[in-house]
Amino acid sequence: MDAIPMRELGKTGAKVSAIGMGGHHLGDPASYDESERIVHEAIGAGVTFFDNCWEYHNGRSEDWAGRAIATSGKRKNLFLMTKVCTHGRQASMAMQMLEESLRRLRTDYLDLWQIHGVSFDNDPELAMAKGGVIEALDQAKRAGKVRFVGFTGHKDPSIHLKMIGMGYPFDTVQMPLNCYDATWRSFEQRVVPEAGKREIAVLGMKPMTGKAGPIEKGDVTAAEMLRYAMSLPVATTICGINTLEHLHQNLEVARGFRPMSAEEMRSLREQCRARAADGRYELYKVSLLFDNPQARLAHAFPLDAKNMEVKEALENMTNLSPPRP
Amino acid sequence: MSTTTTRRDLLKLTTAGAAMALAGCARAASSPTAPRASTSSARARTGEIPKRRFGGTGVRVSAIGIGGSHLGEVPNENEAIRIVHEGIDGGITFFDNAWEYHDGKSEEILGRALVGKRDGVFLMTKVCTHGRDRTVAMQQLEDSLRRLKTDHLDLWQVHECIYDNDPELHFAKGGVIEALLEAKQQGKVRYVGFTGHKDPNIHLAMLGHDFPFDSAQMPLNCFDATFRSFEQNVVPVAAKRGMAVIGMKSMGGGGQAVQAGVVGPEEALRYAMSIPGVTVTVSGIDSIDILRQNLAVARGFEPMSAEEMAAIRTRVAPPASDGHFELYKTTKHFDAKVGREQHGYLTVDELPL
Repeated sequence: MDAIPMRELGKTGAKVSAIGMGGHHLGDPASYDESERIVHEAIGAGVTFFDNCWEYHNGRSEDWAGRAIATSGKRKNLFLMTKVCTHGRQASMAMQMLEESLRRLRTDYLDLWQIHGVSFDNDPELAMAKGGVIEALDQAKRAGKVRFVGFTGHKDPSIHLKMIGMGYPFDTVQMPLNCYDATWRSFEQRVVPEAGKREIAVLGMKPMTGKAGPIEKGDVTAAEMLRYAMSLPVATTICGINTLEHLHQNLEVARGFRPMSAEEMRSLREQCRARAADGRYELYKVSLLFDNPQARLAHAFPLDAKNMEVKEALENMTNLSPPRP
Repeated sequence: MSTTTTRRDLLKLTTAGAAMALAGCARAASSPTAPRASTSSARARTGEIPKRRFGGTGVRVSAIGIGGSHLGEVPNENEAIRIVHEGIDGGITFFDNAWEYHDGKSEEILGRALVGKRDGVFLMTKVCTHGRDRTVAMQQLEDSLRRLKTDHLDLWQVHECIYDNDPELHFAKGGVIEALLEAKQQGKVRYVGFTGHKDPNIHLAMLGHDFPFDSAQMPLNCFDATFRSFEQNVVPVAAKRGMAVIGMKSMGGGGQAVQAGVVGPEEALRYAMSIPGVTVTVSGIDSIDILRQNLAVARGFEPMSAEEMAAIRTRVAPPASDGHFELYKTTKHFDAKVGREQHGYLTVDELPL
């Protein structure tokens, strides 16, 4: 059986598997055991990149992934990332989150620590402000608790460009990359080249637009979408996988992966262009659906009780932090 | 609701003759124009609502208008009709509506209220094709005329240009723009325009087609002033073409900022009405109380000074800078049912924000 390709992570010298396991979905299954089976089988198949985030499922995603990685005995072979969720609040809060993440993930270091959800127009300036989260990144690096640092966001390429343009030496940047993004408010067109110029590793996410809407409507297939995303100049494509069946489908694409031809990619972009043009499938760009309650509270945006993350957060109010001053 | 309470309190203070003290408290320390503003505030209560030229049309309309969506939300229909009548008696001539508001209820209520009063007002409604063809538009026009009990509209606008591809769809062959021309030729509408609340770039794309729109409607308030700003990006372009500019959402569309105490309701409305280039400010009015409070601001209205406006902008810019006071720009909250259907979006229930 072919191996999953390994790729350089920017200029860090590290190598990571061309697909990564999304942390949010690892907290989705009904039981820890199901989640563990997915993690163990992925590791066995050669997936080394593991995404996570302090605020996913109120900590359950980190807890389950940490436990499953510990029982696999492979921590040292993996590239473990999690994200910090200050959303404009101060560095001291970030350092507390780091300790919680390390404890849940059952490790004493992270390979990568990223600022989560840089999604609102004023997030870059809040992150870079005196006492802001950027200072925590430096501090954590100096303390040997994190090897590399980056940031993530799903809202708007211009927010990413503002963040990159501030000149901080990020090792990575994460963004939605798929065949709908390709022609509309496009991270692919606007951010990927800029990150490339600065040798910042690009981490793709939402290869199927986060909700698989276009697949359900029959517009494209899952395999087409994943192949497109993996064919971009990215270090890895983070996939949301919450069943063994989805893991198998993704592994099938990833094993012995060969990128699409430029012509194949162009043709898929054209096929998707009309329905990309109003954002119907990229709800992370046009709505609050993908903005965690922590992010909304910090920015005083409203919560809606139907949102799954909001429901979970309301059940566990202790994990909610106050809005930024 | 605390918005109402605040407005009502303001009104009480005003009618008790305490307006000058109030204005003094709020502004004297920081603004050299405060005494003048107080004087005009006092004068405001006896004056008429100013009329302004509606773009290049030669028609004049009241500087404040009554929003159609809120009329459909008044719990009691007689109360809604009273709002319209008292508004007209107070000097309001501009009436907003849309084919899709409350599935036609807003147009029906306004139509009933305007029986015998139609000729004295400037009546607008909006067409809601959301990308569909001109025949849909012409059917909607007939619905609107029937519900509004009139044989012509003063203004017919393309509603809710909020999706990035709306301009392209509207201007496509057989699209809604052709219906605007047809309706004009048939004498069923006098003037035409478009509306939207999402992004100045979409408005600019509509204007980029060089169609002779008479008006454009957009959110204009002190938060918009510094965040993805229609005031900065669209008003000057429209004004340069001699178009009428219709402002809406003077409080940010939901009153959250007023509730948070960031801005007072009177201050917010005065800011919106003072923007150079704005013709009329459409205000959502769902009770007689709110109507009276707005009338109190609009009577004898004199615009804020440039310094006063700059001071408000500067004060509210930090909390405005993530868009949480303008949810119509940053969430799906204000995006209506028909447009979502036509653009293949989740429903209001499934995706409230």
